[in-house]
Amino acid sequence: MKVKYLTVLAIAAAMFLAACGKSDADLQKAVQDKLTADGVSGVTVAVNGGVATLTGEVADITVKNKAQASAGAVEGIKSVTNNLTTKPLPVATPAASDPALTGKITEDLKKAGCTGANVAVVNGKVTVTGEVPNAKYAECVQVIMQSGITGIDNQLKKGS
Amino acid sequence: MSLQEKYQTLLELANQNGTTYELSEGEGGTLIVTGTAPSAEAKQQLWDEYARLDPEFNDGDFILNIQTAEAAAGGGMHTHTVESGDNLSKIAKEYGIQWKAIWDHNRDILKHPDKIYPGQELKIPM
Repeated sequence: MKVKYLTVLAIAAAMFLAACGKSDADLQKAVQDKLTADGVSGVTVAVNGGVATLTGEVADITVKNKAQASAGAVEGIKSVTNNLTTKPLPVATPAASDPALTGKITEDLKKAGCTGANVAVVNGKVTVTGEVPNAKYAECVQVIMQSGITGIDNQLKKGS
Repeated sequence: MSLQEKYQTLLELANQNGTTYELSEGEGGTLIVTGTAPSAEAKQQLWDEYARLDPEFNDGDFILNIQTAEAAAGGGMHTHTVESGDNLSKIAKEYGIQWKAIWDHNRDILKHPDKIYPGQELKIPM
């Protein structure tokens, strides 16, 4: 009877150890290693009761998401609190002066067969008006967005 | 929701299909993605995803400026096709540059700054 009791206790203890096999410190290291292996840098990891908290500043949202997935994939991590922030973005400068951009876009639109679209550029921001054939619409928007503008007010209409 | 969150699937896709990009902030907080896609297909995938997120491309909060690696290799030159009635001064004015800049970049195809012909493709330094 006593032996049986001890066996149960031993099994229970073994199960407990297996479940909590890794201390928070071990987990913290495991998460940090996993992030490094996945090419994510600049993240500080803290683990408390199996919950990983990520802090720091990363390049953009995709790195933030990746860090979350990597940390969550580590065995023993119950959940991830993602407190990462994304870097402030640099302010864009227009690729050329307003008249130059207007000229370039107008010419490129003409070349792409987007007659009917009119553009006016003010301080790098383009306002697009007019109407282009439905089938051409996406291509015309592409032409405008690839010109080096820094803002857009797209009022272009789809014709038949 | 931040703009990066709004367009995150598009950015994830860029990472997956080998497009290199940089983010910047334009007029009124506009999120600008400037980058180079490895192929025309990869670029089209990004535009397809953009169309899914903003079907009319008119939310005004995002600019997708992706060129293909092939186009990027061509450099920062723009091409102007000469039309009847064009002259270098007129074309230069259209782009806000000096006529001499166009002349300098096209000496290989132009014999004289006054002699340009419809159909000629002039390199315009931007």
